[in-house]
Amino acid sequence: MVRIYVIDNGGQWTHREWRTLRDLDVDTKIVPNTASFEEIIKDNVDGLVLSGGAPRIGLDSNLGNCGEYLEKSVFPILGICAGHQFMARFFGGKVQPSKIPEFGKIELMLLTEDNVLFEGVPKKSIVWESHNDEVTVLPDSFERLGESENCKIQAMKHKKKPFYGLQFHPEVEHTEYGEQIFKNFVNICEKYLV
Amino acid sequence: MFDAKKFIRETIPKLQDEIKGKALVAFSGGVDSTVCAVLVNKAIGDRLVAVHVDTGYMRKNEPENVKKTMDELGLNYCFIDAKDEYYKALKGVEDPEKKRKIIGEKFIRIFEKVAEKENVEYLVQGTIAPDWIESGDTLRDTIKSHHNVGGLPSEMKLKLVEPLRDLYKDEVRKVARELGLKVSERQPFPGPGLAIRITGEATPERTEVVREACDIVEKEIENAVKKGLMERPWQYFAVLIPVKTVGVHGDKRAYGYTIAIRAVQSVDAMTCAYSDIPHKILDNISTRIANTLRDKVNRIVYDVTSKPPGTVEWE
Repeated sequence: MVRIYVIDNGGQWTHREWRTLRDLDVDTKIVPNTASFEEIIKDNVDGLVLSGGAPRIGLDSNLGNCGEYLEKSVFPILGICAGHQFMARFFGGKVQPSKIPEFGKIELMLLTEDNVLFEGVPKKSIVWESHNDEVTVLPDSFERLGESENCKIQAMKHKKKPFYGLQFHPEVEHTEYGEQIFKNFVNICEKYLV
Repeated sequence: MFDAKKFIRETIPKLQDEIKGKALVAFSGGVDSTVCAVLVNKAIGDRLVAVHVDTGYMRKNEPENVKKTMDELGLNYCFIDAKDEYYKALKGVEDPEKKRKIIGEKFIRIFEKVAEKENVEYLVQGTIAPDWIESGDTLRDTIKSHHNVGGLPSEMKLKLVEPLRDLYKDEVRKVARELGLKVSERQPFPGPGLAIRITGEATPERTEVVREACDIVEKEIENAVKKGLMERPWQYFAVLIPVKTVGVHGDKRAYGYTIAIRAVQSVDAMTCAYSDIPHKILDNISTRIANTLRDKVNRIVYDVTSKPPGTVEWE
């Protein structure tokens, strides 16, 4: 059984991430972002989800020990919302308050056709958002996977490491292909199983 | 996937371990508290007392319906009429968080009184995941203090038992169906009741108005669903906005409150889309509210906000 933990950055939908993984028969647990990397790898995890949260990454807020996880991990990590923004900043990108924040329903447009995280997801689909900040400058080590009308970096991937970031929320019921995206991430983690 | 049978099988022995003496269950008559009451009843039998508090902010005919449900389930129960106490406590209170906290604390003080009389140590609550998520904690922002979590007083004597804490409403409904409970498909109703469906002060006068308006919205929508004119919303009700506007009734000036119609689609209350109510149904609701509550209400509006950015209830 693949083991993916959800790092709790205080998001409203952290528990939904846990539920989605549990429904996919993943061995999962919610862990506060104050846990050290050593505590987490003791359990032989195969992947991490960095949840969203109220901290304003665009205003230089920190996100517990997420930096340590990104520095030390070799297994896949999926950053969502604040988790995604923090990932971008950690690798040298820029996060700023959104000119037009997005809440609720928007259309996601994928920019590549063959990314494993979006396997089975059409070029255009409905996703749900809830953010005040966004990634405005992509780190050099990342590539852009998706955008929306008002936010150019909706999805990104590290060029060499199995690290992904999503500005929208694949864990909520109203995101059309959310479960599919989680399934794909679980597959990515399974492939990393040694 | 969530397995209701397994959940029931595993929860009952856990409850037997956890509850050593007598327990009371806070029984509102909704899906969550009814499932809790039945599970605990299966675990500890008549060591359980169900307590229903009529806060005065209940839906139309609700106290009678709740009594009937408790009878049908064969629960030991106690019914407390605390209308005047609640109205007094909320007099002059406008802030939604203050309202929620006053209501939450009052519930506990009433339960403590019953507990003392009945010699009870444990309080069973139908808390589910969104309640504690939205109430906030050291990591999470407080969106609203749910009466059963963020609304609890810091000092309380009863030990809390919350068997549904990690479940969402759709999962609780699965358990309710598995237990064969009639309430399994009831729409959610918040613990603080109509007090948070009146923005600002929840006076007895405004409460009567919104109680009637909620009843009209419920009946009209249920009627439309039955006729196949629309999908059944997850939740549907009225909100009283204490903003007065001018109208004309029979050639005379009128000046009354505003009522908002709210209906949303959801699975777990964590995200919601506003329901698409056909214009004909909106029209029926509007006319009935205006004609029934004629000297109190003369403007009816339709809330087209999703969650996020809004929440389901207005406060």
